Amino acid sequence: MPRFLTEFFKRNGILMGGLMLGLVLFWTIGLIILPQLSMLDFSFRPNLPPPEMGGPRDVYTLENYRHLVFGPEGASAAYNYIDLGVFFRTIVAAICITIFNLILCYPIAYYLGQSRGNHVRIFALMLIIPYWINEILRAFALRIIFGQTGVLNTLLVGLGIFDTPYDFIRNDIALYAGLGYAYILLMIFPIYNVIESLDRNQIEAARDMGASWLRIHRRVVIPYAKPGISSGCTMVFMLSAGALAAPQILGGPSSLWFTQIIYQWFNDNSNWPQGAAYAVVLLVTCILLVMAAMRLFKVNMGDIGK
Amino acid sequence: MKLSFLRLSLWLYLALFFAYLLGPLVIMSITAFNSPSFPRMTPWECLTFQWFGALFHDERILNGIKNSLIVGAGTVVLSVAMGLAAALMLTQIWPKMRTSFYTLIIAPILIPGVVLGISTLVFWDRVARMLGMEPGGFLSNGIFLTIIGQSTFIASYCMLVLVARLQRYDVSLTEAALDLGATHAQAFRKIMLPFMRPAIASAAVLAFLASFENYNTTTFTFGEYPTLTIELAQKVRYGITPAISALAFIIVALTVFAALANEANIRRKQLAGGASATVSSKKSGLQLPRLLSGNPAAILLVLVAITVITVVGTAMTYSPQECVADVRAAKQLKAREAIEALRAAREAREPVPEAPAQAPQSEGGNSSFGGVFNPTNLGGETAPEPEQPKAKTGFGGVFDPTNLGTGD
Repeated sequence: MPRFLTEFFKRNGILMGGLMLGLVLFWTIGLIILPQLSMLDFSFRPNLPPPEMGGPRDVYTLENYRHLVFGPEGASAAYNYIDLGVFFRTIVAAICITIFNLILCYPIAYYLGQSRGNHVRIFALMLIIPYWINEILRAFALRIIFGQTGVLNTLLVGLGIFDTPYDFIRNDIALYAGLGYAYILLMIFPIYNVIESLDRNQIEAARDMGASWLRIHRRVVIPYAKPGISSGCTMVFMLSAGALAAPQILGGPSSLWFTQIIYQWFNDNSNWPQGAAYAVVLLVTCILLVMAAMRLFKVNMGDIGK
Repeated sequence: MKLSFLRLSLWLYLALFFAYLLGPLVIMSITAFNSPSFPRMTPWECLTFQWFGALFHDERILNGIKNSLIVGAGTVVLSVAMGLAAALMLTQIWPKMRTSFYTLIIAPILIPGVVLGISTLVFWDRVARMLGMEPGGFLSNGIFLTIIGQSTFIASYCMLVLVARLQRYDVSLTEAALDLGATHAQAFRKIMLPFMRPAIASAAVLAFLASFENYNTTTFTFGEYPTLTIELAQKVRYGITPAISALAFIIVALTVFAALANEANIRRKQLAGGASATVSSKKSGLQLPRLLSGNPAAILLVLVAITVITVVGTAMTYSPQECVADVRAAKQLKAREAIEALRAAREAREPVPEAPAQAPQSEGGNSSFGGVFNPTNLGGETAPEPEQPKAKTGFGGVFDPTNLGTGD
């Protein structure tokens, strides 16, 4: 037995140490690493009925990835414009939603982090309550508001801003509002946590030295809050790019989210390897983008989730 | 001057922000009490409680709640156990590996839920095949897969909550217990667990809520055991009714209640902590008024409870039948008016005085507008321009009963 293991068991006892080790190994290897590898492996295989799996036709192939880029065999177009279009639209929309959420939440997080008193607790409570409501129900609530005969259309037509009801759902405004709505809390809390620990004297000092309001934020608050901002942005970006419920409920009939295509491969077309390949592409793209953004803004992975 | 402007815009911003955050929930809750069968707030028709009745008679919703509770319980146990083990491991692992280990166990939070669901499904399907199990065996059971899939990332949440508390733990306490002859299991149970209890409780609540509302992962793994969220999604996607609003109202009410109860509890402890150590004896009913003073959350809690009781009480005795009938009558009246207007328009287009077409004018009381829509009312027998009414009505005269007659 290697030395670190004996030390570990000496420190925790055989029973407790074994239990701890077993649970951690089950989680990390059995639930995190192996399933991901298994999905990666699966995405390189052809779609075969179960009896043929492991048979002579079960060979590694790039067919599933080729399908995403070039479309099905013998297609008229040179590239798979539909799926690629949905893919890029999803990524770009997720980035836009992240930026929108950051702009929306930063003032709130700053205000909550810097003020003291009972009302902060009440605000925090009001922030958390929507997050406890089911994701589906939150999307449903927005659908009631944005519908043809919804509250917003009644209001806008009533005020005379529009002559006819505006179709928010077909134009994807409902979808973007819903995705932004769903992850507000995940943006506010990391930023709030960091800003709360910022010494107010630093801001006072900057102000005493004549720094403008904008400059204080740019030179003092934002550099200090960078870990919180990046962790909030990472979570919002990953979650909105991987969202499924909001696009299904709030998305227009003609526009898809990339996760919906994955869902279709699995549930409607029963082509698991194809779906797995698309999922791998989504995962890898998101991770690469987040890592690139972290490199750009000089943040460490260890800061996420703090 | 500038400062007050800044302050004003800040409050305006806060108000708008919270309107965006809470408005949808309020509107959704209100639609649960409106009678139209499509959930809407305007126009308000009748106060009704029928949607709650419809909800409680929905087999699928009830079955979904049952499955959700089973999955939730399993997920809480598994993810709190794994989270605690990982949190303990994180404090012991040597520093060089700590960052990579932390990255690994935090990663499931960032992996899209869809990907987690797919990988769980694919992996356990393969394990089942490698073990030579029949399809539909234990490893492809919906509840098992859902618990496994959800725990993958919920354990990360639990780990974060538990690590925060564990950082304040004094390891010498465990060492003292061991020196005094306790076994490792005893030291864990008697020293570590009581210290960690608050964090474990919050981790468990968090895990249950996360499991209860999870959709992205569950939608791939649920098999034959749809959870409440899955059922809701099916309903919302294929036709929405105010029964869903009713369920949402119940969940919102429960959430607000729980949050206020928790807040009141914290506040009570703060107040009691300031006074004396004997907290439990102060909980008697006599002290309640004093307890409420300086505890806004408790006051709100009482208000919410009273409101709920009132609403339920009203629901028991109130019957919206009359109002529904009124609204229906009003709608019919409106429809009839529209028909009459069309008929009048048609008459104006073909100014042939026919006896049956004059009938509505003589009835009068039938429509609240009298006959104002009838152009013949204005000019007697002078023939109006035929073009104008034709352009106004998109249906031409198809609704006009006399239309059929002239065809012959």
